[in-house]
Amino acid sequence: MITLHFDMKKVDSNWITRVGIVVFAAILVEVISVVQDQRLRGMMVEEMNLHSKAVLVSKAHEIEHMLELTEATLAENRWVIEQQLSQPDSLFWVLERVIDDNPHVVGGCLAFVPYYYPSKGRLFEPYAYKLADGSIVAEQLGGLEHDYTRNPEFTWSLDHLAPSWTDPYLYGPDSLSYATYNEPIYDSKGRLAAFCGLDIDLSWLGDTLNAHQPFPSSYGLLLTTEGDLVAGPSEERISREEVLRAVDIVNGKLSEADFPGIAIRKTRLEKEPYWQLVQVYKKDEVLAPMHKMRRQQWLFMLLGVAILAFMINRYARNENKLRVASAEQARIGGELAVARDIQQQMLPKVFPSYVYGTLEPALEVGGDLYDFYIRDGKLFFCIGDVSGKGVPSAMLMSMIHSLFRVVSRKEESPSQILGALNNQLCAGDDSNMFVTCFVGCLDLYTGKLNYANAGHDKPFLLTSSAALLPVKANLPLGVFPGTEFELQSMVFSPGTALFLYTDGLTEAKNKQRQALGRERVQQMLDSCLAKGTDAPEQLVNALSAEAHSFAGEGAQSDDLTLLCIRFQPGDILSRNITLGNNKDEVAQLSTFVKDFLGHIEMERRVAAGLRLALEEIVVNVMNYAYPAGEHGEVTVYADSNYKEVRFTVVDTGFPFDPTAVLSVDTTLDAQNRPIGGLGIHLTRKMVDSISYSRKHGFNVLTLTKSIS
Amino acid sequence: MTTRVEEIDGKLVATLIGELDTAAAAETEKAMLPLMDCKGKDIVIDCTGLEYIASSGLRLLLSVLKNAQSQGSHVVLKNVNDVVKDVLDLTGFVSLFEIE
Repeated sequence: MITLHFDMKKVDSNWITRVGIVVFAAILVEVISVVQDQRLRGMMVEEMNLHSKAVLVSKAHEIEHMLELTEATLAENRWVIEQQLSQPDSLFWVLERVIDDNPHVVGGCLAFVPYYYPSKGRLFEPYAYKLADGSIVAEQLGGLEHDYTRNPEFTWSLDHLAPSWTDPYLYGPDSLSYATYNEPIYDSKGRLAAFCGLDIDLSWLGDTLNAHQPFPSSYGLLLTTEGDLVAGPSEERISREEVLRAVDIVNGKLSEADFPGIAIRKTRLEKEPYWQLVQVYKKDEVLAPMHKMRRQQWLFMLLGVAILAFMINRYARNENKLRVASAEQARIGGELAVARDIQQQMLPKVFPSYVYGTLEPALEVGGDLYDFYIRDGKLFFCIGDVSGKGVPSAMLMSMIHSLFRVVSRKEESPSQILGALNNQLCAGDDSNMFVTCFVGCLDLYTGKLNYANAGHDKPFLLTSSAALLPVKANLPLGVFPGTEFELQSMVFSPGTALFLYTDGLTEAKNKQRQALGRERVQQMLDSCLAKGTDAPEQLVNALSAEAHSFAGEGAQSDDLTLLCIRFQPGDILSRNITLGNNKDEVAQLSTFVKDFLGHIEMERRVAAGLRLALEEIVVNVMNYAYPAGEHGEVTVYADSNYKEVRFTVVDTGFPFDPTAVLSVDTTLDAQNRPIGGLGIHLTRKMVDSISYSRKHGFNVLTLTKSIS
Repeated sequence: MTTRVEEIDGKLVATLIGELDTAAAAETEKAMLPLMDCKGKDIVIDCTGLEYIASSGLRLLLSVLKNAQSQGSHVVLKNVNDVVKDVLDLTGFVSLFEIE
């Protein structure tokens, strides 16, 4: 529960971190885009200003050019008019010609001062103008119905006697917009005769001003000096109301600040009559690309943030997975180490001189097994290989191992033992794993070997050379219940040995992925036999070394298990006894050792010395190996080949190496003699060699004594 | 293992018969308790029937010896066989005890 609680907290803080990163990224992007927005806005307004400036200046120039052209026309024709003053009726023709020669002039008049031509009466105003079809018409305008002297322009001109432009005005049936340029005309005597006016059509101005507008709702205006509207966009494009509002803003009647959606730029002509040119923009339109960009930016940002969130989430999840996985791996690693210890503990640790075996797991725990033990003068042994590697096969292996021990306690026939193992395995196993296994039973006195095989590799029979033992293959264990494993037997002559192995030996692979092969194994065995290095331990070590050197530095690909058993008739005596850590059981030890040594011919004193040596070691274990009051066991293996006696004392108590105990001083007098330390001292003196090792939680002490 | 203690001619005579191994040590120790009260009387331990001795037995003999020496008594081991003699030799006990 505690672990779970912490995990939950971890997950929570993870989430906060992840969301925090995403939010931070989003804020960062937003800040950047706002700053960029401001710059962009500035740039677009600047562009609008530049545009308006360009438009206004060019239009102003256009208008100025038009005005100058008109002024020039009058100047050019002034002398003709002055010359023709003497013939008032020819002036109609003069005006017609001026209009005809100058397309930009649409009308021309000469407004004579009253009574200039007495014959013409008080008012005389010849007038010529262009019709819509291009024809030119001339007429006399002055009269009672048209008293031009009342026109403000006329009176102004009379007062000032200077050239002037009228403000634009609407005139004619089509209400077109016109402006008139006036200049005084003097006769040869220097008297003021008339004012000559040339009309120009301004109605095109509105179109020109509004052609090529950059935005659908932007427009240009032409205003008089006083701010009256002269020309503007067509009503279809921009409503009159809107236009008038803009005019009011220009004239200061409305405040620009009240209409934040509108931007107005204006300029004046640089000469008379200083008309005003105005460009009106809608800010929305000007900034529309920016808004569009902003929307896109938002979309990209959302997309980016979503991708970021997704990636962070994924990354975090992967990391989490990784962390969980590595923790799990560490835990499994620890458990595997324990499993390996347990497995190793099940393997035989003490070998009589005629048996030797080894198991090297490829992974932490292996699927191989081997075992042997002696019962009633018979050596029971097995070697097996569970399909697959790792924990599941190791568990199955442990099960087989235990079953072998249990079954073979009561059953002597290897065939029956395999049968029992197979039935047990088939009954409980749903995992479809199978086990190859070879079981044998060697009579240590007669040399008769009974054996049965369950799909395992054929062992080698070692006489003067190595050959395969005749073996029926049979099915592996765990395939079908009720499978029969044929009992085979053979009688070993003295010195004959059996070399058993798992496919970790023959299938050992080198870098080129080639297998070591059975032939190579056979050659190695032969060479060992020829050299005489053929003790079981030597053979096993030689083949193990060969497999390792063949495989090189690469990882061991499969479990490697080797077992070698030699028949040495009559010269092997093996016994063992297990005692509790109770000194009363020393009596049993005494009986056991006297009986064992009784089978071997030796001096009484040597026998007594051996017994003493063993007793001291065992008593030491009983006294000190286990915590006081706790039950523990000590096992003694006694072996002899009649030339040498070997005792192996095994216990699972505290690690303790008696060989490291200092010698006692045997020269001290009685009063200074310590009570302890004598036992191990005696043991040392009584045997030829004493060696200690700690293996997989066992203290293993070996005493040997030559008796020849 | 049989242990008998008797007083003969002013000496305490302990007769050990059998194998004095660790299992027998406790019982033998109990049987030899009268030797601890020797009061200057010499002690003879008759080993004629002693076939085997372990370090626990030696410890027993050592405690008898220490006690006797403090009371001014001598301890004599009599008729020690070769097996027991080996043990006494190896432990230097031969120089502690008088051996007949």
